[in-house]
Amino acid sequence: MKALEVKGIVKQFPGVLANDNINLSINKGEIYAIVGENGAGKSTLMKIIYGLYTPTSGEIFVFDKKVDIKTPYDAIGLKIGMVHQEFMLIPRFTVTQNIVLGDEPSKGIVFDYKKALNEVEELSEKFGLKVDPAEKVANLPVGIQQRVEILKILRRGAEILIFDEPTAVLTPEETEDLFKTLMKLKKNGKTIIFISHKLKEVIAIADRIAVLRRGKLQGIVERGKTSEVELARMVVGRDVVLKIPKAEAKVGGTVVSIRDLTVKSKRGIIGLKEVSFDVCAGEIVGIAGVEGNGQAELVNALIGFTRPIKGTIAFDGEEIRVITPFNIRKKGMAYIPKDRKMRGLVLPFRSRENIIMGQHTLYPFSKNGVLNNIEIDKFTTKKLEEFDVRPRDIHTRARNLSGGNQQKLILAKEMSMEHKFLLASQPTRGLDIGAMEFVYHKLIEEKERGMAILLISLELSEIMGLSDRILVLYNGEIVGETTPDKTTEEELGLMMLGLKKQKRVAQ
Amino acid sequence: MNSNIPFLNASIAQALDYTAPILFAALGGVMSENAGVVNIALEGMMRFAAFFGVWGSFVSGNAWVGLLWGVGIGIVLGALHAYITVKWAGDQIISGVAINVMAMGMITYLLESVFKTTGYSPPVAYFGAPASKIHLAFLKGIPILGAFAELTILIWFALILVVVLHFVLYHTVLGLRIRAVGENPHAAETLGVNVFKIKWFAVISGSVLAAFGGLALSLGTLSSFTNSMAMGKGFIGLAAMIFGKWTPFGALGAILIFAGAQVLQLFMQGTATGFAKLIPLGFYLSLPYMLTIGALIGVVGKAVGPASDGVPYKKES
Repeated sequence: MKALEVKGIVKQFPGVLANDNINLSINKGEIYAIVGENGAGKSTLMKIIYGLYTPTSGEIFVFDKKVDIKTPYDAIGLKIGMVHQEFMLIPRFTVTQNIVLGDEPSKGIVFDYKKALNEVEELSEKFGLKVDPAEKVANLPVGIQQRVEILKILRRGAEILIFDEPTAVLTPEETEDLFKTLMKLKKNGKTIIFISHKLKEVIAIADRIAVLRRGKLQGIVERGKTSEVELARMVVGRDVVLKIPKAEAKVGGTVVSIRDLTVKSKRGIIGLKEVSFDVCAGEIVGIAGVEGNGQAELVNALIGFTRPIKGTIAFDGEEIRVITPFNIRKKGMAYIPKDRKMRGLVLPFRSRENIIMGQHTLYPFSKNGVLNNIEIDKFTTKKLEEFDVRPRDIHTRARNLSGGNQQKLILAKEMSMEHKFLLASQPTRGLDIGAMEFVYHKLIEEKERGMAILLISLELSEIMGLSDRILVLYNGEIVGETTPDKTTEEELGLMMLGLKKQKRVAQ
Repeated sequence: MNSNIPFLNASIAQALDYTAPILFAALGGVMSENAGVVNIALEGMMRFAAFFGVWGSFVSGNAWVGLLWGVGIGIVLGALHAYITVKWAGDQIISGVAINVMAMGMITYLLESVFKTTGYSPPVAYFGAPASKIHLAFLKGIPILGAFAELTILIWFALILVVVLHFVLYHTVLGLRIRAVGENPHAAETLGVNVFKIKWFAVISGSVLAAFGGLALSLGTLSSFTNSMAMGKGFIGLAAMIFGKWTPFGALGAILIFAGAQVLQLFMQGTATGFAKLIPLGFYLSLPYMLTIGALIGVVGKAVGPASDGVPYKKES
């Protein structure tokens, strides 16, 4: 039986053909993945199915019946539910309030909270998705919040569940949990549509995979009949070098040296314990580790957001006593933050405004406090070209750029500042393959220009491929130091989980 | 001290009289802002309703008719604010300012053209008349409680409304939806909640509450309209709402701090002896404001309103 069928879906946005004659047929009880780069049209297609967009033309069939979905409410009525990429949750409400909203158990006009609690409890048991119904959503980790989203749509009787990039916000452990959940749902006869650009995940979980590129359906492959390389070729439309080209390190003098750095985390506990290491010119030092093991504290101390309780940071052999973002950047630090939207860009600003931020007080961008628009525009035009930011329009607001292009804009901004040290914190987080490749190339270029680079990443392949030296962070301490040719991903993995320690060479 | 009891009770009664209009305004704000629509027009709406209440009472000779007129204009203004801010997702502050400015000019004009006077209207039938007050004779003579022996129906209504609004917001389906819309309208929409309907309802009912605030001034405390109404009481209500963390009881508590200082001031003026007499009157007058600033720094430092308060809601296309 077919759960969902779309025929000839076309969606035309002003200037962009987001979906170009898409035909898909999804069976009941299967996990169906739709992959493609950012901007390939995956989310648009799902929003059409969920009634958030109206298609320009095309037909949708749900359980073999032709339907007309105009609003999410119609979709809910047809037993279609969606777990959005950005959760549709109300942090100040409890799990239960979030789940029952819009269809609340009641006595007359009175909201029957007790009954609602029981209902949620039952639901969570039925599907084996554990949650605390009375807990406030704001207090829950992201993985559990996602579970609340799933329960929310299950309560509405959803048979077809759409997941829009569900793993983008999850840690590897939470991703494992999600996959277990998906298998449970499948066992319960639910149909799952899984949108992603992470090929490894898709290959692991999906029964069938549809590939979209620039709004067009490229092909459909079945479970076990494809490889990551083949899939990548379909997604990008050309051969992709997932292997990172190796560049020989020409190590120069020490640029940044960190000694006994101890930093408190946001929660007030010690997040980083007496960490010492150097980063030299012309090398990439990779920090491997599971998220939450001291990376954030290290970054915040380096950029001057948190004052370390012990230890020193020296730049060019000169200790910086009080670090502020201003004075460490003046010394020559560039910073690619892990959260593009929070620390990387001012979203309502245009490309031309974002790209000069941090240099806006310098000649030629301004003089005596007055901005020189001609110079700024000239500079921006040049940089957009150089870093391949699309669209090339210098007036595009950062909010309207895709994730990959936002990251390119950040690279353009940071790398055009005068610097000798680059702090790259998860620089490929949430990017598609094409954009990832771009970031790798830029990092290697930087290295060849003799920059000192500190790369923090959760992806082992990235750490192994790019780094000249690898440090492993576990529980706020460096538990190992090695080089890519002396270790394996397995060994790093064990160290990251604290199962294996390695003596460090004395510094 | 015994001889002071009637005086104390009178001071508290006066403070309650002072409380009611501000409380109505604050509750109006609570209603509207919990659904995500900022309403700084509370002040202007009070002024409109204060005038229309007097007008209605003047025409009919019946304070209840005046009340209906006041509520009517509250509905009209609420609908206007909702039309601009909900239907067209216009800027809520600008809409609010517009209504406030309109209230200044239009009411001054109407006052002159209806009553042929400047500054104030002739006295009309009102709820503060001894016969119209709610008499609870058995309370008389009891310290503090005695203050409740003779209050206008509007004061009682304001106090009861705190409980009612609390119940509506936190214990009914409607309240849950109102708060959901104020926190995350997109989430509410995806669950099939009609965001626009909820917002329209909240803005109009909030405006009606503000209108009651105006009526409490012109048909409760006084029996006529003066051109200086509402004298910033709408804005004080707005501050009390924020101070009270956007909750009905919080707003009541905040206003009681104002009013408490007011009682103290009235009481001290009459009975202070010795050292207390040496403290200048201005100190007591400024006490509510100093208390508020102190409390804002210490207590409410972390208060945050509904997450989507003031953000116009537009559907995705």
